[in-house]
Amino acid sequence: MRKKYKFPYFYLAFISILMYLPFLVVVVFSFNESKLPTIFTNFSFKWYKELFYNKRLLESLLNSFLLGIFSTLASAVIGTIGAVGLAKTHYKLNKPVSYIATLPMMIPEIILAMVFLAFFSLLSLPFGFVTLLIAHTAFCVPYILIMVSSTINTLDKELEEAARDLGASRRRAFIDIILPLLFPSILSGSILAFAMSLDDVVISVFVNSPYFVTLPVRVYTQLKTGVTPEINALCTIMLIICLIGITIYYILSNKKEKHKHD
Amino acid sequence: MKKRNPYLFAILPLYIFTFLFILGPIIYMVVISFLTNHGSLGYSWDFTFANYIKLFDKVYFRTFTKSLSIAFFSTLLTIIIGYPFGFWMSGLSAKGRKLMMLSLVLPFGINSLIRLYGWIIILQSKGILNNVLLSLHIIKEPLKILYSYPAVLIGMVYALLPFMIFSIYSSAVKLDLSLLDAARDLGANRVITFLTVSFPLTLPGLFAGIILTFVPSMGLFFIADILGGNKVVLVGSLIQDQMTRGSNWPFAAAIAVALTLITSVLLYFNKIISAKDGGQ
Amino acid sequence: MIKKISVVLLLTILLLTFTSCNKAEKDQLVLYTWEGMFPREVLEGFTKQTGIEIIYSTFDLNETMLEKLSTANGTSTYDLVIGDDYIIDAVIKRGLAQKLDKTQIPSFGNINPIYQGYFYDETNEYTVPYGAGIPMIVYNPDEIDFDIDSYQDLWDPRLKDSIAITANYRLVNGITLMSMGKGLNETDIPTIKAAGEKLLLLADNIRLVQDDNTQLSLLNGEAKVALLYTSQVTSVLAENPNLKAVFPSEGLGIGIMDFFIPKDAKNAKAAHRFLEYILQPQVAADCFNYLGYFCTTKAADDLVNPNLVFKGEFKGEIMQNVPEDADEQYNKNWIEFKTALN
Repeated sequence: MRKKYKFPYFYLAFISILMYLPFLVVVVFSFNESKLPTIFTNFSFKWYKELFYNKRLLESLLNSFLLGIFSTLASAVIGTIGAVGLAKTHYKLNKPVSYIATLPMMIPEIILAMVFLAFFSLLSLPFGFVTLLIAHTAFCVPYILIMVSSTINTLDKELEEAARDLGASRRRAFIDIILPLLFPSILSGSILAFAMSLDDVVISVFVNSPYFVTLPVRVYTQLKTGVTPEINALCTIMLIICLIGITIYYILSNKKEKHKHD
Repeated sequence: MKKRNPYLFAILPLYIFTFLFILGPIIYMVVISFLTNHGSLGYSWDFTFANYIKLFDKVYFRTFTKSLSIAFFSTLLTIIIGYPFGFWMSGLSAKGRKLMMLSLVLPFGINSLIRLYGWIIILQSKGILNNVLLSLHIIKEPLKILYSYPAVLIGMVYALLPFMIFSIYSSAVKLDLSLLDAARDLGANRVITFLTVSFPLTLPGLFAGIILTFVPSMGLFFIADILGGNKVVLVGSLIQDQMTRGSNWPFAAAIAVALTLITSVLLYFNKIISAKDGGQ
Repeated sequence: MIKKISVVLLLTILLLTFTSCNKAEKDQLVLYTWEGMFPREVLEGFTKQTGIEIIYSTFDLNETMLEKLSTANGTSTYDLVIGDDYIIDAVIKRGLAQKLDKTQIPSFGNINPIYQGYFYDETNEYTVPYGAGIPMIVYNPDEIDFDIDSYQDLWDPRLKDSIAITANYRLVNGITLMSMGKGLNETDIPTIKAAGEKLLLLADNIRLVQDDNTQLSLLNGEAKVALLYTSQVTSVLAENPNLKAVFPSEGLGIGIMDFFIPKDAKNAKAAHRFLEYILQPQVAADCFNYLGYFCTTKAADDLVNPNLVFKGEFKGEIMQNVPEDADEQYNKNWIEFKTALN
């Protein structure tokens, strides 16, 4: 980093703080005594207590995480090897398929939701985890595909050829050379996909079953009766879980780096 | 002797999944857009072009132009704010990069709707922003930002910024520093190095970022609803209206098809431009 | 290594798929409605009394519910549904609801008859009302120095940029029509167009349009006047008793929510038991106090918050579905109106 200029650091810090403002507000309001989401009255833990009684809400939180992880994994696999395959093959159908695969991102969710519902009913698929997984994977694949495709063309072809010349099989070359190089894009795409899945309500409401409900659905369907700070409390807890997960990841990956250097 | 391309197996999952679960539903959507609606009784299988003709009605047409304008400005703003962020982020130390990426990811742990309510608290007349500005005597009366076009822009940029940042970052992080050093050795100053070496190499990331920002922004109508007080009518709100109390799914499907076509055309142009400039 | 992980993942997916399928050993009632329609104690009370487990499933929009019911072939996942009046009209017309077996609901007479017999179920064979809403105008007398008592008052130029309204296109068109002396189910296109013109004149006075939590704008000062749904009125008056709530003089619109049982419900018996339970006076009172809508169970009128019992003569109309061309014109009015806002 050009150490002379401090401005970049200020900029990064400033924008980061701005990005965090709304969520800090959410956290603060989870301690709001009053039921109203926009006016702070008194400090109180009352919503956290309510949350503990609300088994359904906690269950839906777990469901959302599970669904998110699996659909992100599925779309990461399909999307990554798909992107690699698209780059290395020259079938006539490649272009149309890659276009169609990114369509779910362009079509408004409510329309997607409606057609998924109708389509899955047509195929008589069991509504619940299966249909949710398919639907979520469908709208996650575009993110991975776009991210990975954009960087795949900039990969140094010579690296791969060098590995092959040295006797590595195609599979080895892929796993040891290409995959690590693509990793930042795959990770970025996966994070976006996971976030999209965690957030999705419209599609989930249409293709779920009463036995597998996701968190955003619980939140959004409260709109007719009013959002309470209980949701804020839940979000704060989710944040803490994410924070713990991220911290663990950070510590572990730093350890691994150190290990590598030794 | 023609050997079968071994990468066939790589694209098979994509092909199968796409044909089965993406193409199928989409064909269904196109079909519905040509059907006739009968109010509360649903739609019947009578084919008609009426839904598409309705789209050209002045009232509906304007929502398309409005949506395009918001999408355009939101994307522009995210590029202006996000490009430097992604670029400078890639220049941090390995630890710094990781930290920054994780800190960007963390807010995703909260539902986007709730975060929007957070913005209401910040932007409202008695909210945080106004309180700060008033106490610093920068303004005399509270700004009525909430429920206006600027508020919608703020919300959009906030929601879409991470997408742009991630895209730019993935591209910028692979910049070969030796290339930059070479340019500097050859006498180019910082600015010229950036313009001739760094920037072109990050173009793929920029174009990916544009896609990931522009496309969703056409659909994020709930931001317009919540922060704009429903006063800014986007195509997405139109569709939502038509599908709910309007109970007119064929028309909603037609709007969706039109939206998809417009977005696809714009993406196509994006691709052409990126192929020319990104030029690999 | 990859193989091991794949096996574990596959097993987990299979496990999840099976656990999310029907667990129909215990006696269950699958309830389908908006989130937060019952206080926790009421639901737990039912399970305690009958041993039937309640699976509370939710939707955000009436239309979602309609679509899910329409695509069910043979058996319905849901046993008991609550929806808005206009959507139940569509449900019954499409043959998706079953007639109630009133022998299983001895307390059917507890229902307040002024909420029955409307267009969607004139013979009261399919539905049990659960809450009614009458939109009202609520304003802050500290900010407004004149009395507001009619829809026409909303057009007063002194109210520039100070009104919050709900995002219901039929309602907004409806109050305009009522201020013109017409009914809110008007089907004459020229009249509707005229209403559209008048509506455009209201644009300057509108501060925001929002369907949920509209009342918050009165509390945080963003708006001085608001057109609110009943539950929002109840909630806002509880927070700030100084606010004034009025029934506009030109006439009222009413919306009713009802229970109905889907045609092929798996456990219609449990559904009937729940209906019988919910019509008990104390249970009903607890529900309406929690919900904030008008009490539709007459037997609970003495036990419930007095604001939730409609007194006096009801001079108003229920919002009905109108023919397509009228609906389209209403929609166009609405979009033109929204575009004129800013």
